[in-house]
Amino acid sequence: MYNLLPFNFTRLSNSEVLVNELGDMIIAPNGTVDAVVNHSLPSNDLYKTLVANHFIYEGIVPPLIDVYALRLRTKKCFLDDFTSLHIFVLTLRCNQNCVYCQASSQNEDSANCSMSKETMDASIKLMFQSPSKKLTVEFQGGEPSLMLDLIHYAITEIEKVNETEKRTVTYVLCTNCFNLTDGLLELCQKHNVLISTSVDGPEWLHNKNRGRTDSYQRVVANINKARAVLGFDRVSALQTTSELGVNYPLETIDEYVNLGFHSIFIRALNPYGLASQNNDWKQYTERFIEFYKKALDYIVEKNKQGVFFVEEFAVIVLRKILTPFTTGFVDLQSPAGIINSVLVYNYDGYVYASDESRMLAEAKDYTFRLGKATDDYEKIVCGDTAKQCAKVWANECIAGCSDCALKTYCGADPVRNYSTQGDMYGYRPTSLLCKKNKAIIEYIISMIIDRGDEVLPIFRSWLL
Amino acid sequence: MIHRALNIESNDNSLFVTAQCNNKCVMCCQPPTQCDDIEKYFIQNIELIKSAPKGLKNIGITGGEPTLLGDKLFEYIRIIREYLPDTSIHILSNGRIFKDADYTHKLKDAGGEKLFVGVPLHSDFINDHNHIAGAESAYEETITGLYNLASEEICIELRIVINALNYSRLPQMAKFIFKNLTFVSWVALMGMEHIGYAIKNQSTIWIEPEQYSTQLSDATLYLSQVGIPVSIYNVPLCLLDKRIHKYACQSISDWKTLYLDECDKCSVRSDCCGLFATSHRIFKGIKAL
Repeated sequence: MYNLLPFNFTRLSNSEVLVNELGDMIIAPNGTVDAVVNHSLPSNDLYKTLVANHFIYEGIVPPLIDVYALRLRTKKCFLDDFTSLHIFVLTLRCNQNCVYCQASSQNEDSANCSMSKETMDASIKLMFQSPSKKLTVEFQGGEPSLMLDLIHYAITEIEKVNETEKRTVTYVLCTNCFNLTDGLLELCQKHNVLISTSVDGPEWLHNKNRGRTDSYQRVVANINKARAVLGFDRVSALQTTSELGVNYPLETIDEYVNLGFHSIFIRALNPYGLASQNNDWKQYTERFIEFYKKALDYIVEKNKQGVFFVEEFAVIVLRKILTPFTTGFVDLQSPAGIINSVLVYNYDGYVYASDESRMLAEAKDYTFRLGKATDDYEKIVCGDTAKQCAKVWANECIAGCSDCALKTYCGADPVRNYSTQGDMYGYRPTSLLCKKNKAIIEYIISMIIDRGDEVLPIFRSWLL
Repeated sequence: MIHRALNIESNDNSLFVTAQCNNKCVMCCQPPTQCDDIEKYFIQNIELIKSAPKGLKNIGITGGEPTLLGDKLFEYIRIIREYLPDTSIHILSNGRIFKDADYTHKLKDAGGEKLFVGVPLHSDFINDHNHIAGAESAYEETITGLYNLASEEICIELRIVINALNYSRLPQMAKFIFKNLTFVSWVALMGMEHIGYAIKNQSTIWIEPEQYSTQLSDATLYLSQVGIPVSIYNVPLCLLDKRIHKYACQSISDWKTLYLDECDKCSVRSDCCGLFATSHRIFKGIKAL
């Protein structure tokens, strides 16, 4: 006789997919779950697999309950050190005019939309109150490269404080690479700053999205310049799938391969800023899912031909499915990444729960404003707003997620729920974020079921 | 047990410290006895340690179950550390005693760095493991012991002796190891020696490497792909899928290695572990490559 441990299940590719709280996944024939819960499971090989993988156990207490506890702690260890990602929005000014801008950026010469030194000082002080031993300082905008003096000031101040704090600080500059000056690159070189940039796809597509005829040429030239100065792997790229770009998955991947990148992070548009004027999110989401599938298939083909090339969203999902480890990706976490893993210090002198939260603020919605940069740390991370979010930021306890088989691979996103559905709790049956995440995760699992021998060695090589 | 002087040229220098064991593994090559032999072996072994060449790379502590010596095991280790400060110590244990965190801590205190513990895992499935180990609570105790060893940062060699009762789950075991015992330093997948209990139980446990070739390949490649170092012991190259040749080791002690006449014609003989001279049965399918 055996007892059950918690697990959820779904049906995919003519199989049952059972997933436990640790993210361990078992592919089994249809009817397995019924047999498991009705205690009519024969003692065969599948029975042994279910016991060994913490789905069922014999006896009163699971013999490996301590291993189970430790593994659960490992999966949730992104919580151990609290906030590690600290985003500094230096300005809304920008030197490009992208069709899908999510950050409400302003003209290059706009006034009153850049961070003051006083706000920077207060923000740095707050950041160092985070208990995390590792701090990632991410400079964002607008276009942060327009704020060379402030970046220089921030790094100098942080280094000064860190002489006694002794944290491991990583700097990331999120830039469109449109105008990387020698002075900026020198600063990046001196302080080991990583460059995170973005290319949308082939030249014509990139230029069309960016509203300029010379964007691609300049961006590529600057990527190469940055690689030469900082090192080839110090420059990475995120892709954003515009409404036009969604038709060109293969061309987009080819572009990244040709530019010498070993990875791409395929991202959908977010319903913020200019992009929220898009009038048919449902249709876009469906087209994006198809885009993603085609792109991932194509990437797998590339790998089979001997080109090592990785899709980063798939890597995050695969790490959750195939390994006992955790991921540090703030958008697929439960409890959610907001506050727990990320804080945003905005140019306006306020601290927000996430990047998306400050984008909402540009539409005059201050729901996720945690407080002023000059406020006490406790008020920011344990204040009323944080408490409201905390009630709904674990997908283990929200309807439509708690019983989802993919729960351990996905995450909770109160900010997205609020911005698209009007409340932080959200409603999964019509949530487009749920639809998108579910479709992609299910597709990856289907690939494992249908083409395991072919794709698993490739997927595993992405996780090393 | 024959006592040989510790020899710097040998790949096997082990101290046999007791014939007693708290497991009764179905394939045990050194069936346990009940007699109180710890003192007898201690006196002999201390002489061996004192007369050992100073440059000795590796010294094994084996049995039986060495941890049945209790604190006397630490005396061994302290004496080895005194006379052979640079020699690695490789203890073969079923790992059950290390469920006691204090005992595990004392081991670390005595051994410091350059200490390896080789622990067998017989199956990912509790009842199969216990059945093969011949002891009821072996599985939980061994797994807890492995966790305690890891928390003391002691290097662990996880050993799987392949037999008819566990070969079919080798791929599942590999996954279990990666998910639950990620911290092991390496995994050794081992062919069985036909001696001791393996003869007595041959009808239920004996298996030819030809029969487990697929499972062994799958498990080996999986472990390698997820980044866990893996080695194959005691299976000659001609019985292994070519894809896993590079994981095979010269694992058989030099003093008991056997090559057949057929092996003289083999182009990879010098890389091959050969066969156990002590085995009463020779693997089927040996052919020159």
